[in-house]
Amino acid sequence: MNVLVVLAHPNADSFNHAIAQHVVDTLTGAGHEVHLLDLYALGSRAAMSADERTAYHTDHPILDPVIAEHAALVQSVDTLVFVYPTWWSSLPAILKGWLERVMVPGVAFVFDDSGKVQRNLMHIRRIVGISTYGSPRLYVRAINDNGRRTLMRVLRLSCGWRTRGRWLGLYAIDTATAAQRAAFLRRVDRRMRSL
Amino acid sequence: MKAYVVYCHPLQTSFLAAARDRVLAGLAAAGHEVRVTDLYADNFRPELSAWERTHHLDPPETKPEIAEYADNLRWCDALVLVYPTWWGGQPAMLKGWIDRVWVAGVAYELPPGAIRIRPLLRNIRRLVVVTTHGSSKLINAAQGESGKRVVTRALRVLCHRRARTKWIAFYGIDRASDSDRSQFLDRVEHSLRSLR
Repeated sequence: MNVLVVLAHPNADSFNHAIAQHVVDTLTGAGHEVHLLDLYALGSRAAMSADERTAYHTDHPILDPVIAEHAALVQSVDTLVFVYPTWWSSLPAILKGWLERVMVPGVAFVFDDSGKVQRNLMHIRRIVGISTYGSPRLYVRAINDNGRRTLMRVLRLSCGWRTRGRWLGLYAIDTATAAQRAAFLRRVDRRMRSL
Repeated sequence: MKAYVVYCHPLQTSFLAAARDRVLAGLAAAGHEVRVTDLYADNFRPELSAWERTHHLDPPETKPEIAEYADNLRWCDALVLVYPTWWGGQPAMLKGWIDRVWVAGVAYELPPGAIRIRPLLRNIRRLVVVTTHGSSKLINAAQGESGKRVVTRALRVLCHRRARTKWIAFYGIDRASDSDRSQFLDRVEHSLRSLR
């Protein structure tokens, strides 16, 4: 397997970083090829710029060479793993912006002659989302897990029909004990091994 | 009524800029008091920083960069968001404004010992969204309308108990005709003029 792990948490000592490290170590140990993008460490810019927006519908929608590298990674892997904290039911801006700037026409989808969107991520076999939530699980279900929807529905619709989604959530993290966090990390390890 | 308009699009020549102008025309015609934020013109930084994450429960007075936006949120009766829907939701620029401005002491409080947050934006009685979707309504339904849910659920619970939302969306703009577009702009102005 060839895996791209995208991490979006500002604090290098965060639990999200610990999760991402577990993902990388477990998958590397199992013999897979793994690439990690730590968006905050890379200083990734979230907002699409005016020039990028202008270029969006041209043949060369990517202007930033770093973003071009990330897009090439997306096209070369078969598994995408996202690790992020859920804020206001959705993705942190830095991750949302990464999707907007990397998943452009020619990468995630193409416009056909009639202007309709055709999916272009058929090579992605799995999308894995791992997120931490301040709220308890029931509240997350009621308010709706919009980050999960963005990755598991919107992005997945750009993939093939048989692309599988896996979700791992740690809910009510503010009151989670050290034992609960450790148990969650073990669950992450198990899930990664069984991919 | 006091209306706070938050506009988010990188290009001043965009269709959304025209929609924003019609929003302002409608609000002016109805005699509402208006404040406007243009996130791109402000060069707003959407990435919540490590410091902001560590100090996310600190009082807002320690965060002068968001003071003006926070004041506007506390001042208004109606919040009007004008943005394009990208990947099913708010552009990163606008999501970052929510991440950084809707913080403890502004949007909610978490008293010591409490396990649930307490809303602080009870002054906001109307949430209005003006947005465009490249794809059709059917595709957006399949995608789960996550941007809509962020507003009508996640943000609304922080507002007035009976806050009402008005969703003014242009689906399928990628393949819309000029007359569809001008009809939508008329609808935007009319809806905002009748905002109560």
